[in-house]
Parts: sequence; structure tokens; C-alpha cells
Amino acid sequence: MMKALGPLSRRRFLTASASLGIGTIAAPYVARADDPTLRITGWGGKWGDIMKAEIGPAFESEFKCKLQIDSAFPYLPKLQASSRSAPIYDVMHTNSNEQWAAAEMGLVEPKIDPKLVPNLADVYPYAISDKIVGVSIFTSAIGLGMRTDKGYNGVTSWKELWDAKYNGVRGGYVIPVNSLGQAFLMMCGTLFGKGQTDLDAAYMALEKLKPIKIVDFTGAMEKMLLSGEVGMCVIHDSGIYRYDGQNQPTDFVSPSEGVLSLEQVLTITPGSKMKELANAYVNYMLRPEVQKRLAETVWYSPANKKVKLDAKYDAKLLTTPEKVSKLIQVDWKWYNERKDEIDQRVNRIFRA
Amino acid sequence: MSSTATTRPNGLALFILPSALLFTLFFFLPIGLMALMSVLTGNPVVMPKVAFTTRHYARMIGDPFYLEVIWTTIRIGLVTTLVALVIGYPLAHWMARIRSRTGHALLLMAVLAPMLTGIVVRTFAWMTLLSDKGVVNQTLISLGLISQPLKLMYTETGIVVGLVHIYVPFMVLTLTGVIGRIDERLEQAAENLGASPLRAFIEVTLPLSLPGILAGSLLVFALAISAYVTPILLGGFQIMTLPILIYQQISANFNVGFAAALGIVLLMISLLLVIAYNRALGLVSGQRELQ
Repeated sequence: MMKALGPLSRRRFLTASASLGIGTIAAPYVARADDPTLRITGWGGKWGDIMKAEIGPAFESEFKCKLQIDSAFPYLPKLQASSRSAPIYDVMHTNSNEQWAAAEMGLVEPKIDPKLVPNLADVYPYAISDKIVGVSIFTSAIGLGMRTDKGYNGVTSWKELWDAKYNGVRGGYVIPVNSLGQAFLMMCGTLFGKGQTDLDAAYMALEKLKPIKIVDFTGAMEKMLLSGEVGMCVIHDSGIYRYDGQNQPTDFVSPSEGVLSLEQVLTITPGSKMKELANAYVNYMLRPEVQKRLAETVWYSPANKKVKLDAKYDAKLLTTPEKVSKLIQVDWKWYNERKDEIDQRVNRIFRA
Repeated sequence: MSSTATTRPNGLALFILPSALLFTLFFFLPIGLMALMSVLTGNPVVMPKVAFTTRHYARMIGDPFYLEVIWTTIRIGLVTTLVALVIGYPLAHWMARIRSRTGHALLLMAVLAPMLTGIVVRTFAWMTLLSDKGVVNQTLISLGLISQPLKLMYTETGIVVGLVHIYVPFMVLTLTGVIGRIDERLEQAAENLGASPLRAFIEVTLPLSLPGILAGSLLVFALAISAYVTPILLGGFQIMTLPILIYQQISANFNVGFAAALGIVLLMISLLLVIAYNRALGLVSGQRELQ
């Protein structure tokens, strides 16, 4: 037997409306209150956009969890400040130099277990080499970026960056805070000395690079190159290729001495309470379809050998063992052990 | 009986409890922790074996680079303060003395207008003006006055220009209040006694506005030496100041102890300045020194 509803009074209407409103707003939170949350780091820009729009939601849906992405750099000091037993991140995504520093401090696990991340079996050797903590899911090639409208033709070597004709339009990085700058310093040792670890040769080479415009982030270098403030600079290939189709007078040069590797590395924190989900996330990011989508959005070279990119991307990115063999990896452990000493020296070199 | 009356807690004192709590939690506690971190070998929360050390301060004293950075920071602060005072004083004087309410409102709007835009945006605006491909250099090149761009950015001058633009309103607003309270009849009396307007200003208005000059200068100097965004963008990382070095130590070297020591030094510079300000204020106003 159904009880007939009474007349709709103003009070009843307001109560019902308020309940409906609160219910509508709270419903998604209530429904997902029990979902586990995986806290990760990640870049902003196009990477952040596609992670928020596609890659992240697909992971959440498949693994019935919530992905909380921190894209406010720097990540390592925040992880450093959080408790070891309850770290602020479960998975840290950053460049290799910081991952090594984190591993040295015991903030991330040095290696990923291949049994828990099956896709590790399909990555290029560089992605899990002894120069890598965790796993490199993508890499960019660090080489030279140049304006094509200034008559700078026939550039094939790193050493041409020292040519006096680039005085005033030469671009580099704040070495203490930028991975590309640090990798480039090691390359200077190789170019002008006995090898990556020849710091004296590197310092002398850096002295001779002046005058040089230096920036802290690659994004700033991209803007300077696009505006013509810089004509020849150290940059990663993604920083040039991402403007593909926009008719920009810029090009990337892979120097004959080889390109430096700028790895996008994932590691898992030892104190994470979401280990299973963290491993699932690393495995997910190495899936060929995820790798392809991200690679073709941000122009990063995928680490998974099985990824087949569209011809346009395949032609430029490092997608074969031959192309990957050109990558020069930096010994970040060695570098980080001397970072203070290097920073003091380069801060002096580039002081105005 | 009287002792009971004196020990009874003042009800009004309860009103300052929230602000005292807030001040303790968000001012004294962080600074105390920073001071502690600056004399420890690591973070005791995450490291099991931590000891007291003076190595962070020894590193700073032992390497002339850090002393140069400290001096650069102070120099930029001093020049910024001086330029802000030179620009701000006439403006503040005009604002304080203007008869028209509309005129005063318009001047106030003009002073406050830059503050409606964020520091980052304003600094980027200066970059578009001062860079090699910026408005100033391109105009001068197109007029044939120069063949190579002038080095306007990546210099201390560039940083000072940006900082002055940001901090002049602080100087003006501080000075306006003080100058506005100076009795104009004192200047008139001086002129009646034969002083020229300039002499009346120098011997009457200027000394009476010294508390405002000191307060405004203190404010601008403290803000200028702790500025991060403007020095980093307009200095292009080639002019190293203490805040940039602190950020570098935290974000890239992960050396919280050394960063804390640098922070304490920055704080000490400000503290010394406040003490000097109090002494100077006491001397110029003939009051007792603040204890």
C-alpha cells in the first residue's frame, strides 16, 4: 500500500532542493570515497593536458583508483620533506639526475621489479641500464637547436656552438638547476678533454662559451629561440619538434659526436602504501598504446621497442636500436657526488 | 585584596590569543626550525643520526663566492631603496599636499595601479622592454642610434629597474601618511621668517618626514633583498642573490641545512636593519630608544 504524498509545502520544497543539490555535488566524492589514490608527479603543458584528459582517466577507470598528479616542480624537496613511511608520492616521475639523488637519499627504490612490471621486458636496454634508477619510460635527445632564418647552415658538431658568430645569440642553461645544462657540462668534458669526467676541460670550455644567455627551464629556451633572442642553443629534440606544423624557423641538429639522453624516469617510493598500484602504473605507462599516444603528443622517444609510431614521428624520434645507440647517457651518480663543487664553479663562470 | 586584583587575568588579553597563536605557529616556529636546521647535519625527522655542526656557516664564510652573493644582495637592496626614495618622495609630497580630492584620488590610483598586476606579469613586461629583441633596443636600432643591442637585461641595473617599479608604491604610501601629518604652518612660519621654499623644505619638512623615509626605506630594502622572481628573470641567473641561491640549494642540491643557514643570514641582515632603524628613529625623533 502506498502512502499518498502530502501537498508540496515551501519548506518541503526547499529541503528537497537543498538535499538534491548537496547530493549532486557530493555524489562523485561519495562514490569514489573508497577508491585508492595513487599519488604521482608529472609535467605540465601538453604532457599534463593529455594525462588529465586521456591517459590518467583511462588508468583510473581500469584500475578503479584515483590518480593524484602533482605538476608543481620541484618534486624531490617535497618528497625529501615528507615522512619516509608515508611519502607524499607513490610514484615519482622526473629526470634521471634527480632520481639518482633521490635514490642516494633512500627516497625511491633503485630498481623496478620486472616480475611486477612485465612491460620492462620490452624496453630498450638504455631504459634500465646501470645509468638509470627505476625505469626510463621516454627519452629526448639533447643536441643543438638553431634558427633556420639566420644563415646558420651546415651545423654538424657540438663544437660549432663555440663559434664567435653566435656571440650574443648563444643559449644555455643554469647548470646547477637544469638537467640539460648538467648533461652538457659532461659533454664539454668529452669534447675538449679526456671524457665526461674531465671537469677542468669542461670548465675551460664553458668559460669560452661566454657571452651566453642562460635559462632555468627548457620551456624558456624554446621561447627565446622562437622569439629570435637566441639563435643557437643547447636543447632537446622535443623542444623543437613540438612546434612541428607551425612553420617556425627552427630546427634540431643531432651533432655527429652523439646526442645526450634526457630520460623521463619513473621510480616507486619505498614507503608507498600503494605498491601494487604503483607497479601497475609503471607497467601501464610502458604499454605500447600509451607510449604511442604520449610520444605523438609531446614528441618524446618511447622506451618500449614494440611501439610503432606514425611515419612523421618515426622519422624524427629515436625508435630503432640504431637510432637509440646514438644516445649518450650521463653517469649521474658520479655527477651528483660532485654537484656542490661543480655548482660553485659554474656559478662563478656564468656570473655577470 | 589588592594582590587578588592584580593577578586576575585581563579579559581583553584573550583577544590577542588567536593572533599570538598564529604568530607562534607561522612565524616563530618556522624560523626556529630554520635556525635549528642550519646547525644540524641533516633532517632529524627522516635521518636517524643527526649531529650539531657549524659547517654550513663555515662554508659560507670560507668561500668568498657566498660573501660576494651576500654583498650583491645588499647592494641591489640599497640601490633599489635609494632610487625608490628619490622617485617616491616627490610623488608622496605631492599626494600629501594636493588640495583637490579628485587629484589625490587620481594620484593614489596611479600609484596603486601597478600593484593590481602580479609581479611575474610586471617583470615579463620589463623583459619585453629590456631584452635584446625588446622594444627599447629594437627602437634604438631602427632609429640608427645603435647597431648592437644595449645590455639592459642580465645586469644589476635591469634588476633594479624592475624592483623599483614594483616597490615604489610601498615607499610612496608610507611617506604620504607621514608627510600628510606634518603641519604645513611650520613650513609657512619658516618662509615668513625669511627662508626660501627650498630651505624651508630642507630644514623643516625633510627632518620631520625622516620617520617616513626610514620606514619606507626599511620596507623597500627588506622586500628588495628577499625578492626572487625579478632578480631571476631580469638577471637571467647571471646575477646571483641570496634568495636565488637559497632556492637553488633547496630545489637542485637538496641541501636544506645550507639553505637554512643562508636564510638565517638573510634574516639577520633584515634584523640588523630593523635595529638600526629603531636607533635612528629614536635619535631623529628625540625619543628614547625602543627596548
